[in-house]
Amino acid sequence: MHKIASLAAAFCIMAPALHADSLTLFASGEDLATAGFTAPKLTRDGWELEFSRILVNFDQITAWQSNPPFMADGPEISGDALVFSGPVIVDLIDADEDDRVELATMPAAPGHYNALSWALVPAASGEIEGYSLVLEGVARKEGQEVDFTLRSADAVMHACGEYLGDTRKGFVTEDSAGDLEMTFHLDHLFGRADKGAEDETNVAALGFDRFATGGVHDFSFGDLHVGHVGEGHCYVSSM
Amino acid sequence: MSVRCKSALLLGLALVVTAPPAALSHAAIMEAEVTQAIRLHAFYETGEPMSQAQVFIYAPDDPAQVWGQGIADMQGRYEFIPDAIAGRWSVQVRQAGHGVMAHLDIGADAPVMTISSTPDTWAQRALMVALVAWGALGTALFARSRKGKQDASA
Repeated sequence: MHKIASLAAAFCIMAPALHADSLTLFASGEDLATAGFTAPKLTRDGWELEFSRILVNFDQITAWQSNPPFMADGPEISGDALVFSGPVIVDLIDADEDDRVELATMPAAPGHYNALSWALVPAASGEIEGYSLVLEGVARKEGQEVDFTLRSADAVMHACGEYLGDTRKGFVTEDSAGDLEMTFHLDHLFGRADKGAEDETNVAALGFDRFATGGVHDFSFGDLHVGHVGEGHCYVSSM
Repeated sequence: MSVRCKSALLLGLALVVTAPPAALSHAAIMEAEVTQAIRLHAFYETGEPMSQAQVFIYAPDDPAQVWGQGIADMQGRYEFIPDAIAGRWSVQVRQAGHGVMAHLDIGADAPVMTISSTPDTWAQRALMVALVAWGALGTALFARSRKGKQDASA
């Protein structure tokens, strides 16, 4: 936790109140991270998951003002770039009331930051050294309870279009700050029982049965695209 | 002018002045204008429509705020008539935790469309939004007639 705090300081995290002429980055695992997989939103194979930590190592984060707007149809984004230095490790459980974790705030030129690129890469050092994503917690099903640690060493680049959600994001003016969010859709990893077995998400998801013995398991994302920008899509490529 | 003519004229004027208000209130007016409407069609690559998806529209003069919103029909279709504001109109269509964005640049020339975000390829389906700008008859339509003359102009 101290190492995470020191990395956060290096990112110049500011007070919660946003400042004009600035852009703040957030990461979120949404309620499936902070509240876990609870009924009816169990994993596709019926497990309840309670996460104690979800550690993610971000790097090469860049916000873009693209014109015409980048449509996440390829790996390259062109436009005016705002680079956030990295890497940084974030715990998606250590979130605010909106399920978001603040990564960094940077001075930003006015405009609409309508694209975002970022990488998940294995940490070079620290407690998740060698891994880009680590999920820790407790899983429960039919009276069975197991502690688990799931780890991925995948290096994945995301080239994302505009954030899609209840609020349109990324606008910076001389009078107001903007914000963007990297969003993790954990249902793409574990599926959701309430969506039915034939749902596309469930067909492709890993589920949890394969980890049912508990303990430490390594896994790969494969073709699963966990990273999004709100409900917006990213072009994902292996690094 | 003879006294008889004057009397007739005065009587005519009196009739006009004293005509019941109802006879003058059935005024129907017709106007017509050609304007530009935007029709969107949201569907999956499989052809399945985004039935009743949420639609959010953003105008060029205030792109951070929702200009209009609604629900697509069962076929994933939605239409709206934008204000006469040139620039980039943007549309979000969202359903079941996924969303897609499309942009329509409206100016002096023909509209230029930028179609939506790429799909989740692993799911082998796409969220597609097709925007079509088309001329449409305006909705300000009335009909006017005058009692007595039975004269309707349109």
